[in-house]
Amino acid sequence: MTTESVTTKTGSTIRVARGVLAGIGAVAAVGIYVLVSSVSLGLWTSLGPGAGLFPFAMGALLVAMSAIWLLQELRRPSAKGEGVDKGVVISIVASLVILAAVMDLLGFQLSMFAFLLYHLKIRGRRAWVPSLIIALAGSVGAFYAFNYGLNVALPVSAFTPLNLIGL
Amino acid sequence: METLNELLGGFATAMTWQNLLFAFLGCLLGTIIGVLPGVGPVAGVALLIPLTLNLDPAGSIIMLCAIFYGTQYGGTITSVLLNTPGEASSAITTIDGYAMTKMGRAGAALTLAAVGSFIGGTIATVGLVAAAKPLGEMGLLVGPPEFFALMVVGISLLVALAGKSMVKALISGALGLLISMVGIDPVAGAPRFTFGIDNLMDGVSFVAVIVGVFGLSEILSFRRNEPTPVVHAPGFRQLFPSRTEWRRSAPAMARGTGVGFGLGLIPGMTGSVSSLLSYATEKRFSRFRHELGKGAVEGVAGPETANNAHANAALIPLFTLGIPASPTIAVLMGAFLQQGLTPGPSLFTDHSEIAWAIIASLFIGNVLLLLLNVPLVGLWTSILRVPTPILTAVILVFMVIGAYTINFSVFDVYVMIGFGLLGLALRNLDIPLAPMVLTLVLGPLMERSLRESLEISQGDFTVFTSRPISAVLIGIGLLIICSPLLKLRKPKALMEDPEA
Amino acid sequence: MSRKKIFAAVAAASLLALTGCGANAGASNSGAAAGDFPKKGKSIDLIVAFSSGGAVDTAARLIQPVLEKELGTNVEVINKPGAGGQIGYTALTGAKPDGYTIGATGSPSVVVSPLDPARGAKYTRDSFQPLGRQVIDPTVIAVQPDSPYKSLKELLEAVKAKPKSLTASTTGIQTGEHFALAQIQESTGSEFAPVHFSEGASQATTAFLGKHVDVLVANVSDVNDLSKQGKARVLGVMSGDRAPSLPEIPTFKESGYDLTAGTARGYSAPAGLPADVARKLEAAIEKAIEDPAVVQKMKDLGLQTSYLNGTDYQQFWAGQEDDFKKVLPLVQKKD
Repeated sequence: MTTESVTTKTGSTIRVARGVLAGIGAVAAVGIYVLVSSVSLGLWTSLGPGAGLFPFAMGALLVAMSAIWLLQELRRPSAKGEGVDKGVVISIVASLVILAAVMDLLGFQLSMFAFLLYHLKIRGRRAWVPSLIIALAGSVGAFYAFNYGLNVALPVSAFTPLNLIGL
Repeated sequence: METLNELLGGFATAMTWQNLLFAFLGCLLGTIIGVLPGVGPVAGVALLIPLTLNLDPAGSIIMLCAIFYGTQYGGTITSVLLNTPGEASSAITTIDGYAMTKMGRAGAALTLAAVGSFIGGTIATVGLVAAAKPLGEMGLLVGPPEFFALMVVGISLLVALAGKSMVKALISGALGLLISMVGIDPVAGAPRFTFGIDNLMDGVSFVAVIVGVFGLSEILSFRRNEPTPVVHAPGFRQLFPSRTEWRRSAPAMARGTGVGFGLGLIPGMTGSVSSLLSYATEKRFSRFRHELGKGAVEGVAGPETANNAHANAALIPLFTLGIPASPTIAVLMGAFLQQGLTPGPSLFTDHSEIAWAIIASLFIGNVLLLLLNVPLVGLWTSILRVPTPILTAVILVFMVIGAYTINFSVFDVYVMIGFGLLGLALRNLDIPLAPMVLTLVLGPLMERSLRESLEISQGDFTVFTSRPISAVLIGIGLLIICSPLLKLRKPKALMEDPEA
Repeated sequence: MSRKKIFAAVAAASLLALTGCGANAGASNSGAAAGDFPKKGKSIDLIVAFSSGGAVDTAARLIQPVLEKELGTNVEVINKPGAGGQIGYTALTGAKPDGYTIGATGSPSVVVSPLDPARGAKYTRDSFQPLGRQVIDPTVIAVQPDSPYKSLKELLEAVKAKPKSLTASTTGIQTGEHFALAQIQESTGSEFAPVHFSEGASQATTAFLGKHVDVLVANVSDVNDLSKQGKARVLGVMSGDRAPSLPEIPTFKESGYDLTAGTARGYSAPAGLPADVARKLEAAIEKAIEDPAVVQKMKDLGLQTSYLNGTDYQQFWAGQEDDFKKVLPLVQKKD
């Protein structure tokens, strides 16, 4: 377990990874924010336990744990993780954000078609034919399957000429 | 006798063609999820919840349960054929399963795994039938303080078992609880942590969070240009194990059932622990232990039986106590709650028909999976040959639709994206995700029972220690949390738990 | 196999799976009604702000099949429990006023929750469009069958002598039960320790049956069965006349306490409904509430149907708001 390392006094010579430090800081910050705002929600009222009681306990827990985590890291820094493929993360997240932003305007079918083409043709370097087939199935096909098969309405375009032709 | 009658009534409901269809679709989708890399059972079940929201409660839960245990079957296929586990609970199967593939016995390995899973799953469901009534009747003894204490035990077990660092597990658990608190306070009505955003008044959508943290973050951690695996489906004639293989598997299956059933009952134990322990058991007790690791059937039949017995047994604490034993079951519990069903003792009094229909469908589902799995192995392997970019794209479509349809709002798509990034960060910081799902689902129940308990005692915190049942439970919870201080060592099998 | 073929197989399988689920969801729709609303195959959500198994939920599920028949489309009862109804009411009033979302509304919870600023409710009375009232369910007070208190007077005197010595259930802060307790305390000086089961009556009843609370404060329909099975000893009904289903139980007035309380339940839509949609929904709800089979089932629960149409229900609501404003300070947090 991690808590039994009292003997190793290598302390300050070992550097804690920057990412880990940021993580610890974020956890502590969330904890402090929760602590402060739960006090204003009321820990205890004349009606009994207040809305802030449970969050307060959680905030305290987060702050305490981030402190212990920091101590552990100072004593024995964790091995560096594998890291991420930044290109993958950026392209997926950015495309998803754009998709979500335009979905209500362009409608599900157009926006999803473009999204899929980007991922299949541009990022995935698939051939044109399978890319087009899959993009159509995932956008128009899914739209009809959900709308008529499942009674689940996916958004249509907000622009009149587009939504008139069913997009 | 009464139990049997109710079970027969359950079969009557479960055997309607719609419900059979749902069970079938659930098994199918579950197996696909099990086979697919990148979508684990947690995200898979969460992803499919929106699809079932329009169904009636029985049909929807039947389908989701089928998806849940279907993933256990599906996970085996990649373990055996590709040497990469589809699900963590099949990880150990890769050793002997892949060795069997290299010996040309892949078909036999898959058949034995399916039969073992069927046996383990069915016996565990019988256990559920037997336990449901007595445990359900004990339900009234469980007042708010006891309920709170039960949840403390469940969460502390998961925290203690998840990952290498209890500190990180606790952080994960606390974050889950905090996320569950966003929205209107379920007791006093005051809005909490909504940052003035209207969409957050209703709380953060559970499905969007799970899909983000478990599903999207997994896809974000894919690397570019991962090669598409080359797999060959075993031929039809290969599927039949030889007589010796059957004979050698039987005792392993029996042991696997015992191990899986026993561990499945304990909240916090994941299916991987069961399969690991079953493998360890085989190593110790099997007559052919020297062959393990070189393609011994015991190494496939035992663990695969164990993880399915585990999956079905883990439904027992959910149905009778309302305690989800694993992250996947927590997601399943979320689906129950969305359908207006509260798992736990009151399930059998308030919705006895639905409860028994679901239990009956577990039997049916196990049969379906046996029938589906072995003959369709060719179809499953062809899914494995789909190139990663196409898979990623199709999975992303489902995620976006799933998140959107919860409230028919793009907001939940953003929530999913945000939590996908959070999940990625947590993965990179080595913070386990499992405690977070559990507390995310249990959070509101836990907070409510805490506050009800304190109202009953009028502010006296000793309410948890002065009542015998909750005192014992809280004691167990504390012991678990303090175990590292007491220098209790985790069993080796737990240290290797890949799910943690 | 080529990639295309594989993909086709996967896509076909998943689409088949999807449409399969949907086939059932759409299967039970009967023909669409005249006019635009409701569209065929589009289901109407009926939001119940309390958990399943309670009286509000039961009533909603009773009228659901009749509503389906009248409107010619699926009606889904959706439970959104929590915060004594506030979570469900928030969802209801936040929904689009297109007729596809309606909800069960019960006073005082729906009337009072927007009045207390501490709750931060996003809705007011004007956010609802009342469609019809179904029933008034009087509040009752019950103790454990083995309790030493045989009459209301004994119970209230004992609590008066020793305030907060007994716990009493409510279905949430500022719900009907909480008001009833406050009224009792105000006029008799007997102070119970309230325990708020904010998901609704089924949770409160379960806790009472497990003897985790001493006194069950509930509605007639909640205790009807319990009383017959000897699982609860009902001591008093807070209505003008005795409840028809509990003829042997004295009213509060008969026991010497001039107090009445109860919850009034009906159905509402978010405000801003198009007039013709509102008319259609109102008519369907009236049909459903007055349906002889539904009325009989309500009677079996111990309830007398007392239908009011939308306009009258709205007026009744406004009257309730005035009444409860006066007693609100009794159940507000003081700090």
